[in-house]
Amino acid sequence: MAQSLAKEFTKGLWAEIPPFRLVLGLCPTLAVTKTVENGIGMGLATTFVLVFSNLLVSLLRNTIPPKVRIACYIVIIATFVTIVELVMQAFTYPLFLKLGIFIPLIVVNCIVLGRAEAFASKNTPVLSVADGLGIGIGFTLSLASLGAVRELIGSGTITIWGGNPVFAVGDWYQPFSFMVEAPGAFVALGLMLAGMNLIGKK
Amino acid sequence: MEFFELAIGSIFINNIILAQFLGICPFIGTSKKMETAVGMSMAVVFVMVMAGMITWSVDTFLLKALNVEYLRTLSFILVIASLVQFVEMFLKKSIPGLYAGLGIFLPLITTNCAVMGTCLLNIGNEYDFTKALVSAFSYALGFGLALILFAGVRERVNLGRVPKPLQDTSIGLVTAGIIALTFTSFRGMV
Amino acid sequence: MREMISMIVVLTLLASVSGGLLAAVKSGTEVRIEEQILKFQKAPAIESLFTDVTNDPLKERFNIETQERTLQIFPAKLQDGSAAVAFETFGKGGYGGDIGLMVAIDLDSDKLVGARVTTHAETPGLGSRAKDDPSFVSQFAGKPIDADLALKSDNGTIDAISGATVTSRAVTRAAIQAQELYSKLKPEILKQIQ
Repeated sequence: MAQSLAKEFTKGLWAEIPPFRLVLGLCPTLAVTKTVENGIGMGLATTFVLVFSNLLVSLLRNTIPPKVRIACYIVIIATFVTIVELVMQAFTYPLFLKLGIFIPLIVVNCIVLGRAEAFASKNTPVLSVADGLGIGIGFTLSLASLGAVRELIGSGTITIWGGNPVFAVGDWYQPFSFMVEAPGAFVALGLMLAGMNLIGKK
Repeated sequence: MEFFELAIGSIFINNIILAQFLGICPFIGTSKKMETAVGMSMAVVFVMVMAGMITWSVDTFLLKALNVEYLRTLSFILVIASLVQFVEMFLKKSIPGLYAGLGIFLPLITTNCAVMGTCLLNIGNEYDFTKALVSAFSYALGFGLALILFAGVRERVNLGRVPKPLQDTSIGLVTAGIIALTFTSFRGMV
Repeated sequence: MREMISMIVVLTLLASVSGGLLAAVKSGTEVRIEEQILKFQKAPAIESLFTDVTNDPLKERFNIETQERTLQIFPAKLQDGSAAVAFETFGKGGYGGDIGLMVAIDLDSDKLVGARVTTHAETPGLGSRAKDDPSFVSQFAGKPIDADLALKSDNGTIDAISGATVTSRAVTRAAIQAQELYSKLKPEILKQIQ
């Protein structure tokens, strides 16, 4: 039991890490990773939704009639997304403004619905929470690292939390602002994916 | 003139995929073959226009009237999910020819954030009904344009010899980046 | 038949529990959200509009009820002895929704002191320049409240941000709305300040 718990948790961190291994949830990945901070914020919001929707779907897996299961999952997910939206407005307002429309759009993030359908609907609540937490943290790490690459090259800074950079390259660096704009997002993710393939292929 | 500006802006400058990052999953997923790209684009135009009209009405006559705007996310996704289901059943029964072409793409649209995103943008912009309709239609056209262009390029890229680690999604994303770069030059238009 | 009933019951129960939960969270966070909006959106705009005040416009704010909404008014006493007010209006029709504009108006001369964009969701690097680069909104400074504000492309005098006509037009709309509100509400504002 403990072993499989650890397995479900850690698979999200490397073997099935979204969005690299599990190519889902690309929209927020590309859109919000202008800074590390935005990436972490988006990742944590998604993790919260993932963990709670997985828990609830798993608890109700024997109650929900199979024919309307997708509708039920969507209601559950949308509820937690709205909670995140309200809580973020109340406590981390500047971050909420930066992530904008992508917070309500967690509801259509295929990772969340995908985990509910593929994992939580077939497994116990404890395993489902471990799965949600693992995938969520993996997603957060991916967003943070993509954010780090883009922010470092595109603005010459690293911002972890609170809007002020914790690291700046210095004035000699001419920021390559292509990286923080839309086209740079695609290219950066594509190259990082290639890097992952290079390391992961045995 | 206002409508024209809105349409051009939504199709090219604020292209839903290449500038707003909505609907990337189907953009990557259905662009390997031209045929699927065309099918997906048509399904999106169809659903997006209908979803735009219905969610606008739900928001105006139900959520705003009852002062429960915080239920927007929940009700919109339900509207879109049931709309997709309904369209699927309707097409299957009445227009089997079209269903054969669009059928497999319809379920994918529920989790296509371009549809949900457009509906939310329309409300956020406080568009009236006609504007919401124009914007939904133009965003959908923009989606189709980007997807079909991308599929065309991708088919050719895959003919060439791509280094192993870059194959498939990876080179696809880099290609998309270059297409997005060309779209940034539309910015001066409006 | 039993299956049908259970489907409807489960969905209805789920939807009502979710609705109730959200209503509770909403009412629990409402006050805090209001405070956060004040702190992060309105305060910076007001501080940059009134650099040499002798009072605290944020603390002395008061509300005026208009037909559509409650308008928050921030009164300022400037160092040179004149008095001004600032309030926020929303210009419709930006790309990413309404654009919030904090407009400051001098109470003695009835001229616009300045304006700052507070909220927007415009395209980064294009429409977002309305907020980041104050040279566009600074064109409103010094205009009397009965001045005709319009973009040059609409036969007016205001230079649009290049590449962002839609955004510029929405900001201008917010400024015009501020002029109208001010002319309508001035007696009320003066009464409240006393």
